[in-house]
Amino acid sequence: MATPILKVENLQHVYPGGVVALRDVNLEIKPAEIIGVIGQNGSGKTTLVKHFNNLLKPTSGKVYFNGTDTAPLTIQQMAKNVGYVYQNPNQQLFARTVQEELEFGPRNLGVSEEEIQERCEAAVEFFGLQDLREKHPYRIGFPLRKLVGMASIYTMRPAVFILDEPTTGQDNVTTQTVYRLIHRLRDEGATVICVAHDMILLAEVVDRLVVLRDSLVIADGLPREVFANHTLLSSSHLIPPQITELSLRMRTDKDASSQIYLSVDEYVNAVKKSRMK
Amino acid sequence: MHSGVSIPITLIPGNSIIHRANPLSKMIWVVGYLILAFFTRNPLVLGVLTIIGLLLVQVAHIWRGFLLVLRVLLPIGLMLIVLQSIAPAFPRPWFTVVKLVGGLAIYREGIYSGLSLLLRITSVTTIAMLLIQTTHPSDLFTSLQKIGMPYVLNFIFTMTLQLIPILQQEFGIVLNAQKSRGLKGTGFGAVLPSMVPVFVGAIERVQQLSISLESRAFGSQGIKTSYRDVAVTPKDYVIGALGAIFTIAGAVWIGFNASALDWSRTLVVSPIVALILVLGSFLGFFIFIAVVVRAILQA
Repeated sequence: MATPILKVENLQHVYPGGVVALRDVNLEIKPAEIIGVIGQNGSGKTTLVKHFNNLLKPTSGKVYFNGTDTAPLTIQQMAKNVGYVYQNPNQQLFARTVQEELEFGPRNLGVSEEEIQERCEAAVEFFGLQDLREKHPYRIGFPLRKLVGMASIYTMRPAVFILDEPTTGQDNVTTQTVYRLIHRLRDEGATVICVAHDMILLAEVVDRLVVLRDSLVIADGLPREVFANHTLLSSSHLIPPQITELSLRMRTDKDASSQIYLSVDEYVNAVKKSRMK
Repeated sequence: MHSGVSIPITLIPGNSIIHRANPLSKMIWVVGYLILAFFTRNPLVLGVLTIIGLLLVQVAHIWRGFLLVLRVLLPIGLMLIVLQSIAPAFPRPWFTVVKLVGGLAIYREGIYSGLSLLLRITSVTTIAMLLIQTTHPSDLFTSLQKIGMPYVLNFIFTMTLQLIPILQQEFGIVLNAQKSRGLKGTGFGAVLPSMVPVFVGAIERVQQLSISLESRAFGSQGIKTSYRDVAVTPKDYVIGALGAIFTIAGAVWIGFNASALDWSRTLVVSPIVALILVLGSFLGFFIFIAVVVRAILQA
């Protein structure tokens, strides 16, 4: 098996004041995987992913990036390995133009000017920001601003992207764009970790789901498996996408082996197939 | 987000007699202190005011918050001693205590003036902190409203106070966002990328607040009631009356003894003491600056 890109061993985190946010978390994330991290507010999702780029240091336990212990590294040193895209782009963007925003990260990493321009070109291409380069980040709409936030991390070429709620505040069209971009990031070899409440994103886009409840990982598996586990989901107040819920309820004891569908397309195809028989 | 930083201008919960006293009674003491502290320049009187204040701090058990404030104010006060000693804010002629290099010298009037300024700062700060750190802001504003402070003005103060911790928290989040973009979190270069989002966020927040306030009929006529009610007990009248008596008696006494209390021309300072005082103050201020610079560089 390939070395996991991120590995978490017996991770525990206690905030000052004694609030236990994570207890004994173990996790391995493979390169080019798309991971969804879900759970109720306050279950420890954000605390967990903040350990991946050293924004938080473990109270006990270890975090490895590509086999190396991250403990001695600073946030700045981890920035080139793991990129963190904030939920609210307003907390991230500050420059006068989108172009400057894209240049900021790689410049901090000490990348050569030539390379910076190359990366900016690539980012503009990838995120479709051609018309926005000279615009002020605060003067463009929220969904696009969010893409600029992602693009400003993209230019740093991290191996792992952490996307905090990538689809909140987005309309249908931009949500679809985000889905496509996540897949394209993976196709380029990046690992994508999505912290999200968007069940469709989690069902249709993500390869693997990690469920947190009360500072513990209570499930870790394929979305299909996780969504099939009704007791587990309801114990953490998570509701699967409607089409999944429907296929779960339509299942009878007789054909317990029958499919659980994650998307409308899947369901429609299956129904069509069974009609043809 | 736990930033670990706390601003010392908020309530430190407690149950001392000072915590329980009515905000207005405490206000009388603060106003009294202000009057007395600016009525006299006599270091002894100001020193006594400071000591009474410190005793009250002990009664209220707010040493931690108080020292946080003093940590910043004391070095500034010490620098005043240094500056005043070599250039007193007094009419000439000045009496030279120690001749330093060139035209520099330590003057008696300067030491007197520096000491009174420092003690003025400590006495007034002590009592002001005592009020702020033992009183819930809402109680303070409710009480002020009772004696006729306009509601809108009150509201502005309350909202401003509430905004400070929010902005502080926001600054922590933004700084983390920039650090995860490889920003070295030190020096002036770190300030701009973090300040812009904080200020833009603050302005947006205020705009939204004003809309949401107007949509809830803010500014409509009528009597405003308050969720918090501040009771006035006989004890509060006693505390308030004591404060008033203390102030008036103090002011009258200072007024009658004005010439005796003016030590500007009579204060006897030996050259050694003067040198130790000025150099010590300078050192204190220098250590403060060094500590601050180090903290900023390590951030």
